[in-house]
Amino acid sequence: MKMKAVYRYALLTRASHWVWVVAFAVLVGSGLQIFNASPNLDASDKSDPARRVLAIGSPSYGVGTTTLFGHTFVTTGWLGWTEDGMGSSGPHAFPAWATIPGYQALADGRRWHLFFAWVAVLCALAWLISTAIKGNLREMILRPSDLSKLWPMQAYYLKLRKEPPPHGIYNPLQKAAYTGVMFIIAPLIVLTGLALSPGIDAIANPLTAVFGGRQFARLWHFAGMLLLLAFFLVHTFQVATQGFANQMRSMITGWYET
Amino acid sequence: MKRKLFVASAISAALTGCGPISSALNSSGAVRRTLASAEGLDHLVIGTRGLAREYREHDVDRHFRVNGFATPSDARYMDLVAGNFVAYRLVVDGAVDQRRAFSLAQLHAMPQTTQITRHDCVEGWSAIGKWSGVRLGELLDAVGPRDGARYVVFHCMDNDGYGHLYYESLDLHQARHPQALLALRLNDAALDPDHGAPVRLRVPTQLGYKSAKWIARIELVGSFANIGAGNGGYWEDDGYEWYAGI
Repeated sequence: MKMKAVYRYALLTRASHWVWVVAFAVLVGSGLQIFNASPNLDASDKSDPARRVLAIGSPSYGVGTTTLFGHTFVTTGWLGWTEDGMGSSGPHAFPAWATIPGYQALADGRRWHLFFAWVAVLCALAWLISTAIKGNLREMILRPSDLSKLWPMQAYYLKLRKEPPPHGIYNPLQKAAYTGVMFIIAPLIVLTGLALSPGIDAIANPLTAVFGGRQFARLWHFAGMLLLLAFFLVHTFQVATQGFANQMRSMITGWYET
Repeated sequence: MKRKLFVASAISAALTGCGPISSALNSSGAVRRTLASAEGLDHLVIGTRGLAREYREHDVDRHFRVNGFATPSDARYMDLVAGNFVAYRLVVDGAVDQRRAFSLAQLHAMPQTTQITRHDCVEGWSAIGKWSGVRLGELLDAVGPRDGARYVVFHCMDNDGYGHLYYESLDLHQARHPQALLALRLNDAALDPDHGAPVRLRVPTQLGYKSAKWIARIELVGSFANIGAGNGGYWEDDGYEWYAGI
């Protein structure tokens, strides 16, 4: 079959995509650095051990534990007691390889986090406005008519079906993922990040209250990160397995071979 | 299959490389200055507006978490504690019309306000306390800031164990915020030594490190460039943001 190349991604889309790759990596790493300073998540406004959902800690020398909804698991080496990036191990919730900077430094982690939060948000707004004006956003948003095609598409991925259901540039599952990430998860992460800041809470008390208070906002913020991480893993798996070179080229040059 | 293996190993190699790479970038002066530019933007956009949420008695942490440096244990502070802080004077000086030294009794004689507010630590935890004392704005009115006074610097009695005394600062706008409080009482009792007796600051619209404990002297200045390492506070000198609203 003869290959045909189509110009699939505009320059702003490609640039935004790679800016987000960097911003996402920095925000996750620096976020884990910030988390490490107080490695608990409570479903409450003020800190409350009685409403603790997640606690990563080190009950004794050389032992790391993770407690989720009251169930404790030994996670030495992975969580709770981990390597510190300087050749030894210690009571750090997330290991040095997962945090920015690698060594324990809350002040620096905050600087990275608060700078790249601006980068990610401003980049997203620029892309969203531009794409909406061009009318291309429509192709990415899940519509009621797509709902009945979700399972047939999943069946196709699972090789239970020979052909995918008819769709536009993006298939119904892609649309569901993009819509969920752009209009639910990303806004949730931004709003909960703002909500856990005392200066924002003072300006908009209801924002923090809506999420259940400061500690609860911190919990949602962390959960949102996990959801985005899950999207990232599925996304990179699909890119890696469905024509890796073609996918990478299209997000660099814009041209995609069909 | 080989390609998939390559992708997987590239990803894991990138991950293990992250720590050293970010640590190296983190020590570059240009990188640090770029990252720090976000603080000015945050200060501009968020600033000091609105009021921190006030809670009910029911929400108060009866045993408010003790944090910060160790309670001072030098002879001067121990004498103050032994004498029930009768000898304590809160010195307010610098760019003021009238230098004053307030006794605890004089501070108690000023109009008192109470707030039940949440203390948000930069580390991530929060606690709620009931604080009573004198509005900082009230104290500023009593001394009269002179033209040229831009910042209110709080010199404290606690130190980091290496001889560096704690200090903090607010600009005049932040200092005149109605909830910026010189707290004399916590949870209906006189402030105890571990919580910053006899006088501590409460700034509920910013992170906890702004709420300096064990205040000895308040100095009004035009610039804090010559105080400490010049960044406006002990933790600021260690890389934390001076604007701590986020």
